[in-house]
Amino acid sequence: MIRLEGVSFRYRSAPEPALSEVTCHIRPGELVGLLGRSGSGRSTLASTLNGTIPHLVRGELRGRISIAGQDIQGLRPRDLADRVGFLFQDFEAQLFSTNVALEVAFGPENLGVPRAEIARRVDRCLRLARLEVLRHKAPAGLSGGQKQRLALASVLALEPRALVLDEPTSDLDPAGRRDLWEAIRRLREERALTLLIIDPETDEVGWADRLIVLDRGRVALSGTPAELWSEGDRLDALGVKGFTLARLATALGLAERWQDTDGAAAAIRAAGWRVAEGAADRLRRADDERASGGALLDVEDLTHRYPDGTEALAGVSCAIRRGEFVAILGQNGSGKTTLVKHFNGILTPTAGDIRLSGQSLRGQSLARLSRHVGLVFQNPDHQIFAERIRDEVAFGPRLQGLSENEVSRRVEEALEAVGLSDAGDLDPFILTKGSRQRVAVASTLATKPELIILDEPTTGLDHRELLGMMALIQRLNQAGHTILIVTHAMAVAATYVRRVILMQDGRIVREGPTREIFGNESGLFDLGLTPPPVVQVGNRLGVPALTLEELVGSLVQGTEGPRDKGTETRQ
Amino acid sequence: MNLFLYLDRESPVHRLDPRTKIFLLLGSFVAAVLFFQPGPLLALLAVLLLYGAVGRALGNLRRVWFLLLSIALISTVSWSVFARGSTPLVWRVTWEGLRYGIGAAIKIDSMIVSGLIFLSTTRTEEIVLGLIRLRVPYQAAFAFSLAIRMVPTIIGTALAIRMVPTIIGTVVTVAEAQRSRGLDLESGGPVQRLRSHVPLLVPIFLHTLRNTDQLAKALESRGFGAGRERTSYLEIGFHVADAFALILAGLILAMFIAIRFTG
Amino acid sequence: MREVLTMWRHTKMVVLVALTAAVYAAILIPLKGIPLIPGFTEIRPANVVPVVFSLLFGPAGAWGSAFGNLIGDFFGTLGLGSIFGFVGNFFYGLVPYKLWGKMGPLSSGQALDARSTRQLLEYLLVAFLASLSCAVIIAWGVDLFGLVPFGVLAPIITLNNFIAAAILGPFLLWLMYPRAKRWDILWTEIMEPGEISRAPRPWVGAVLMWIGGIGGLVVGVAISTGLHAALPFQFGTGTTGLGVVAGVLPFLLLFFLGCFLA
Repeated sequence: MIRLEGVSFRYRSAPEPALSEVTCHIRPGELVGLLGRSGSGRSTLASTLNGTIPHLVRGELRGRISIAGQDIQGLRPRDLADRVGFLFQDFEAQLFSTNVALEVAFGPENLGVPRAEIARRVDRCLRLARLEVLRHKAPAGLSGGQKQRLALASVLALEPRALVLDEPTSDLDPAGRRDLWEAIRRLREERALTLLIIDPETDEVGWADRLIVLDRGRVALSGTPAELWSEGDRLDALGVKGFTLARLATALGLAERWQDTDGAAAAIRAAGWRVAEGAADRLRRADDERASGGALLDVEDLTHRYPDGTEALAGVSCAIRRGEFVAILGQNGSGKTTLVKHFNGILTPTAGDIRLSGQSLRGQSLARLSRHVGLVFQNPDHQIFAERIRDEVAFGPRLQGLSENEVSRRVEEALEAVGLSDAGDLDPFILTKGSRQRVAVASTLATKPELIILDEPTTGLDHRELLGMMALIQRLNQAGHTILIVTHAMAVAATYVRRVILMQDGRIVREGPTREIFGNESGLFDLGLTPPPVVQVGNRLGVPALTLEELVGSLVQGTEGPRDKGTETRQ
Repeated sequence: MNLFLYLDRESPVHRLDPRTKIFLLLGSFVAAVLFFQPGPLLALLAVLLLYGAVGRALGNLRRVWFLLLSIALISTVSWSVFARGSTPLVWRVTWEGLRYGIGAAIKIDSMIVSGLIFLSTTRTEEIVLGLIRLRVPYQAAFAFSLAIRMVPTIIGTALAIRMVPTIIGTVVTVAEAQRSRGLDLESGGPVQRLRSHVPLLVPIFLHTLRNTDQLAKALESRGFGAGRERTSYLEIGFHVADAFALILAGLILAMFIAIRFTG
Repeated sequence: MREVLTMWRHTKMVVLVALTAAVYAAILIPLKGIPLIPGFTEIRPANVVPVVFSLLFGPAGAWGSAFGNLIGDFFGTLGLGSIFGFVGNFFYGLVPYKLWGKMGPLSSGQALDARSTRQLLEYLLVAFLASLSCAVIIAWGVDLFGLVPFGVLAPIITLNNFIAAAILGPFLLWLMYPRAKRWDILWTEIMEPGEISRAPRPWVGAVLMWIGGIGGLVVGVAISTGLHAALPFQFGTGTTGLGVVAGVLPFLLLFFLGCFLA
């Protein structure tokens, strides 16, 4: 179906080729996951499949690419639209109409499909994406997950024979991801479509036919999920996160492949592992030792109403103590971001009060507050403007009116902290997304705030960048900053955060130690959240472990001794 | 407050073909520029308000009344000063000049009211489709409609709050991000205040332009510009109501022309 | 002027038109202007868009400015004036790239991020003529139909446009050019040389554009305010327009001719 022979590509301004001599073959009806760290050539490879490279992106392309037996040399994406469909990560940038049905019709209209046939396709594709009831709605009013499914329906309306999904779930919240994967599964049942998925979470594509890992523009590894199951170390070396359950199996010296967390728990038990006596208490005691200081931020009965009357926050009360590391979790639209925007004064409460070190925020200017509370926005590109990283980081301190000496001292310190000391004179935009995120953190750091709030700090980062970013945040916490993150990444919350706040519909529905909250899976599931696989396995075995290390450390081999019943488990 | 003026309602005007409404809009412009005296212009304004009432569009006047008022004021004042007449009132203002100014004010406001009714009763898609049927090239009509669609996502919820409150547009987000870093747009003299827009405008521009590639890729992969004859899913067509509206408008316009040239 | 039509072949240029228009309108709408004479005239930061985007995106900047201004009108003031607003803003976004590098000794001949004094001078000249021509076109049309006097509108628009473009423009251009270049979205990189008009007489074109723009403004204001004694205002009903309309028209034609030659 898709055949590449010796394909190489070099971007016009790049010294190194992005792809070198890639040869691979994807059979009709196959579902292939394409993995690799950022910059490994994943998206470049995908772009060659419909002529985006070399027609829309300039550079030097060599080799042969054929789709369904036809050489595509000289064909533009618009010529191949009815053969290779593309679904992109950024759903905002692929919706062009003001009505759902018209959006789906857009592609077939461009290809001159007769109106009656367009109508049939619109109905069929909307049904597949479960969007029939929204057909008269404006795409702008849909949730992220619905938008991405609409984009999927719109591509399918062209009736392509192959579909490339370029990081389709990166920008979605957990519920949106789940629904999109379900739609893709239904699609596979309905028709024989060749699917190439770029950079999925390894754990989400255990059902793929084949996984291909790229590294430095070459195919580094290729095989079925079963074949790659125990290749965790090799995947790790290639910057790709392996199967979580496989890492657990390896740590316990087990070789079989587990389909899900239930299977894993059963297999671990069957292999003679059990929870060590007092393991849960040991874990909880360790949590207590890390207890923190007095109240830094006090939120009392905070309500926020938008001008049109929508209540975004409905009576929120909570407290953040000095030196804490807290996460706010919840679906999109639950009010998380609205809440933290009150903490540095961007939004003012409709009712209620917020106190910082005992002093009410009401009437305090943003400029003054920015010295105490730093907010790092989700997308660094919403704030970066200077042409040198140094000037970008210096922006905040300069606005505070500090002396140039003090400014440059703070800039150096901040750049040092985020590991960009040598990059001060570079243009921020030649960096990767992960490094731009670091620049944003550094520019907040340079104002020396006591409380640092980070909104979705790991979105769009690859596995290694994610680990680096979280290690940085952890260091800041250890250096005395109070940290509050808003996140969808449950594994991040489990690994790094001591206390979580769960939000839904503008209210705090629960808060407490991460260990306790993650132990109650049904409570999380009601909010559309799922704990990471390791936590699930721990819950099934009866130990509130949050990380792989904790779980493995809590298990012992043997059958005697009482089972630890520390945590409520749900099967 | 919804950013767009379109009101999703049922009305005879809503059901008209967009081309008909474009013709009616242009017809109202022609009628307006025929006159300089307040009298006939007030009659035209009355006709337009009736048209707006039939189209259930007058509610939108609430959103622009301040604008209408200030335009009327500026126009009246400036013509009073600039136009000469024979009956002095005060300083260089004459009775004729004032009358001319009031006439011009009603004229501009009539046109804006007419535009408002058009936008309140016609979807963007219909406007674009109407333009295409009137032989505006597709690429241009599309770029125009895409731009209209993108405006709310760039501005964000501050104005388009009725959409989903979780969508925050670029302008709002960038402003929030820079204000969080201590940027103050309100203080200093005009030049200083204009300068402090740089940290605001650069990320807005760059963030939007970064999408160029992405949009071009997405468009082409949906067959945009494939060179085949485009078909249309949305159907528009002239009906009896359109003929009726056009004939009625034609008669009214003819009447105004007659008044103009017979006195 | 060929590129104004041939650019529509390129999907990227189509997208740039849409993005320019969207950004222009999106900043026009929510960002308050900074009052210069309170209640009467203000500087709008958005007015920097046509000049800077013209230099980066060429004809896409011109179309985008025209569309963007029209969309701005869609959110309140769609009227006959919108037609002239469309044309005026088209030229506001056309003049900068047309004139750039074609003013002989006044052109710096440097890449767009040279940051030299000469380049700054060239930028200011280009921005000034662009602001001016936009103002003359709009004020002429609006005066033609007796809406607002030329003498009021032309100087205000010139000032509005030029102040924002002069103060913000150089910074924005210098900050955006290297990035736009890296992302392959400069119009000179997207379009093929064969699709761009060969500019038969660039020097003559530039001179005509200057004469047309400045002449139009001076003559128009002179007639409109009555400073010009040879064409007095008529008495009676106050039909003030025709003198201005007739007096400015030749200069507009010179200006358009200049655009075709440059």
